[in-house]
Amino acid sequence: MTRSPWLIVKWVAIGTTLALLLWIAGKYAAAGQLPFVIGVGFVAMCVLLVYGTSRSVPMKYLFPGLFFLLALQVWPIIFTVMTSLTNYGDGHMGAKEDSVKYLVAQSVTEVPDAPRYTMSVAVTSGGDVTTSDLVLLLTDPTQGTTFVGDADGLSPISDGVVKSETGKITAAAGYQILGAREVNARSADLNAIAVPTDDGGGIKTSGLSEAFVGKASIRYDAAADRLIDTATGIRYQPQNAQWVPEGGQGQALTTGWMENVGFRNYTDALTNDTLRTGFLKILIWNLIFPLISVASTFLLGMAFALLFNDDRIKFKGLWRSLLILPYALPGFVTALVWRQMFNQDPNFGLINKTLGWSVDWLGDPTAAKVALLITNLWLGFPYMFLICTGALQSVPGDVKEAAKIDGASGLRTVQSIIMPLVLVAVGPLLVASYAFNFNNFALIFLMTNGGPFEGNQTQVGSTDLLITYAFRLAIGGTTPNFGFAAAISMFIFVIVALISLQGFRRTASLEDVN
Amino acid sequence: MQKRVYGAVALAGVSALAISACGGSSTPTATTAASAAQTAATSAAPAPAATTAAPVRDAAVDLVIWCDNDRKPIIDKYAAQFGTDQGIKVAVQVSTDVRKDFKDATNAGKGPDVIVGAHDWLGELVQNQAVKPINLSAADQGKFPAEAMAAAKFNGQVYGVPYAVENIGIVRNTALAPNAPATFEEMVTKGSALVKEGKATNAVLLTVSKTGDAYHSYPFLRAFGGGVFAQKASGDYDPTKVIVGSAESILGGEQFAKLGKDGILSTNIDGGIVDQVFDAGKAPYAMTGPWAIEKAKKAGIQYAISPLPTIAGKQMTPFLGVQMFYVSAKAKNDAFAQEFVTKYVTKKDLQIDMYTIGKRPPALTEAYSQVAASDPDIKSWFEAGKGALPMPNIPAMNSVWGPMGQATADIIAQKDTAANRLKAAQTEIEANIKKAG
Repeated sequence: MTRSPWLIVKWVAIGTTLALLLWIAGKYAAAGQLPFVIGVGFVAMCVLLVYGTSRSVPMKYLFPGLFFLLALQVWPIIFTVMTSLTNYGDGHMGAKEDSVKYLVAQSVTEVPDAPRYTMSVAVTSGGDVTTSDLVLLLTDPTQGTTFVGDADGLSPISDGVVKSETGKITAAAGYQILGAREVNARSADLNAIAVPTDDGGGIKTSGLSEAFVGKASIRYDAAADRLIDTATGIRYQPQNAQWVPEGGQGQALTTGWMENVGFRNYTDALTNDTLRTGFLKILIWNLIFPLISVASTFLLGMAFALLFNDDRIKFKGLWRSLLILPYALPGFVTALVWRQMFNQDPNFGLINKTLGWSVDWLGDPTAAKVALLITNLWLGFPYMFLICTGALQSVPGDVKEAAKIDGASGLRTVQSIIMPLVLVAVGPLLVASYAFNFNNFALIFLMTNGGPFEGNQTQVGSTDLLITYAFRLAIGGTTPNFGFAAAISMFIFVIVALISLQGFRRTASLEDVN
Repeated sequence: MQKRVYGAVALAGVSALAISACGGSSTPTATTAASAAQTAATSAAPAPAATTAAPVRDAAVDLVIWCDNDRKPIIDKYAAQFGTDQGIKVAVQVSTDVRKDFKDATNAGKGPDVIVGAHDWLGELVQNQAVKPINLSAADQGKFPAEAMAAAKFNGQVYGVPYAVENIGIVRNTALAPNAPATFEEMVTKGSALVKEGKATNAVLLTVSKTGDAYHSYPFLRAFGGGVFAQKASGDYDPTKVIVGSAESILGGEQFAKLGKDGILSTNIDGGIVDQVFDAGKAPYAMTGPWAIEKAKKAGIQYAISPLPTIAGKQMTPFLGVQMFYVSAKAKNDAFAQEFVTKYVTKKDLQIDMYTIGKRPPALTEAYSQVAASDPDIKSWFEAGKGALPMPNIPAMNSVWGPMGQATADIIAQKDTAANRLKAAQTEIEANIKKAG
């Protein structure tokens, strides 16, 4: 058994980890997120159990990986599933009570022609400035008369009143006036104050030294669960997480709330007309795009790798670094440069200018697909070149020599000896590259944004991938709806998972050559 | 080997995410319209070198303001003054995407007290319970032009104090076109002649792009009485009455069809190319906004600004954009926030200082008069914005940008007739609004 120094190190490490977890738990506790506090506590117990005891040795090795798998892979999936079961999105963010409070509060408007008072905030002398009931000391700016306002209403005040130049009361007998910071600290209380006036309104504060007479035009009838617009008399009922007028005529109120909608997002996605018609078209392109991208980049990268693996080439290092260059530049810069080069107008587009063509690269459905594939070839081949170079260098020289002695041609050697050996190494990477390009959001977004759009609509673009399509459908094009976006991304997740699974199974068969 | 490359793939994935984050963040910082952002974001936000992550609210201060990087120095100055006056600490923090960061952070209870942004975010922010009304007195409201105040209102409530207005106009290269054009036809004739002489490559520059640009297209529809939404009696836009496919809008669309057919307008021209060509002195006229001026100046172009002309005898008017200060509905320091926004943002000095960033006309009439007296550009922009309606700030507008922009681009590209295409856009917009609830 290990003793002294290492034992100390071990316990210091465990202690540090536990302290860190405690700190994180504190943060969550402060934010009132109990499930997370429990989760952190569970992790802490696991740490103690796994590393504090001498039991379960394999777990000591597995635990960190397991933890990060859960935290970084499984949790996002769970979270996405949870989101997909809600209507979370613009206009549906808070709870229902919040929407009631907000709608009522924001309907308070200033009563026209009512006085705007100069105001000080005070507590009765001897009261605690942080907790006791607030009163407003008000000065009518036109008459100069002074009042004290509280929950019961306004009453005149004159005892010991001292006013500043602006009319603000700076001292009054029996009251202690709050400083700016003290007023600000009680913002929440001030927002709740409305000194009742005769006409049914209330005097509300605005900032540090002004008060106005306001009236709320929306009232909540808790018993009936209706919001009532007192000006128009329209009653709003809760429906689909929104306040809609009774009878269904007219506009809903702006602010709704978040609620669980079960599988509605999924059924919406499956029954959505544009989604259904667009889906197949997009799915086909979504399968082809990464396939051609991977094939073309691999072939070009492999060709260059073979070329620069030949001993007859001089300055190999230099050539190789030059070839890596497109990979070293930020992808989005490259994409934007290519977009400019593909401009149809030869005044701006280098490609049409050089070739003397007038192809509408980004406006024609087929040409746009070609343009994307060319750009992706440029962006992707250096990566393939890199990994193929690496794989080629691991092909043993004696095998190649044996092939040569057997009289195999160069092409034959590549085909029968080198490729199978290289594919063992890069096969899984091709699958990974396919999966990456399957969701290559940035390239499409920057180059064409899914366009061109055919047939007088803006939902289904000719170069849309599922991911850009989902983005536009759920977030980009109209009012963000994260619940719906989450549902769509679950579909994509399943598709990518199936393709990758199949892909990795196939590459496993490549291993047979060993 | 495998592991290393998985790492590379993962890295590529992460960088792709970062890229998309960048793409998102360039949208609304500087200007108003999501679609105008392409052009305008470049103007006001020269690629923030800092991180695109949302700022973390400074908890140790008494008032937190979020704004974009360019405006920070000026806001800092007045925040410091406010801090001294009240004896408090004020923090001004930079966000590269105020609209999104504010919405997210406020939702999580970690937002700032005050933000600086464009008026067309308003409906969306109200929808998400993020901002609260500002009780600006009637007297203070009267210090701003009625149009600017209208833009700051939603459901009859004032939600922001404006500090600048912006709109598009005609920027002309005076070396090529000495006189302000009175009609669009005059611009086409004069511009085409210059192109024929080889002095210009484009007669008139207008941002179209392959996906279209509703912000820059709107004046054409508006000229004939069309537009986006019909107005209620109160002047508010009515989301239930979309007029993109109305007979009036179609008249404007037919102008696009003609101009596209004659090769005056083209989907090959995007915001970047408008600047590029105009700054190269290769076009007499550009239909653009204040964001284009700084670059044109740098390029040494002699320019002048004039209002949008008439087209087919009808006066074109642009969208009016208003930039303003909002107070968070969940402001932790509500009293200070209200005090700062109602008492300091309405100061003439602040409004004039804000003009030095971005060179938009100040919203406060008094500040505008002073600036306009010394800067003719500001006077011109303001004149060009006369009679302009505010860009809709209702949430339904989010459903309009894409379909309306694409429709105008398709008409210019001769893909369909104006009537068919705009009617299709109207149907799509209505469906989007309905879906959004």
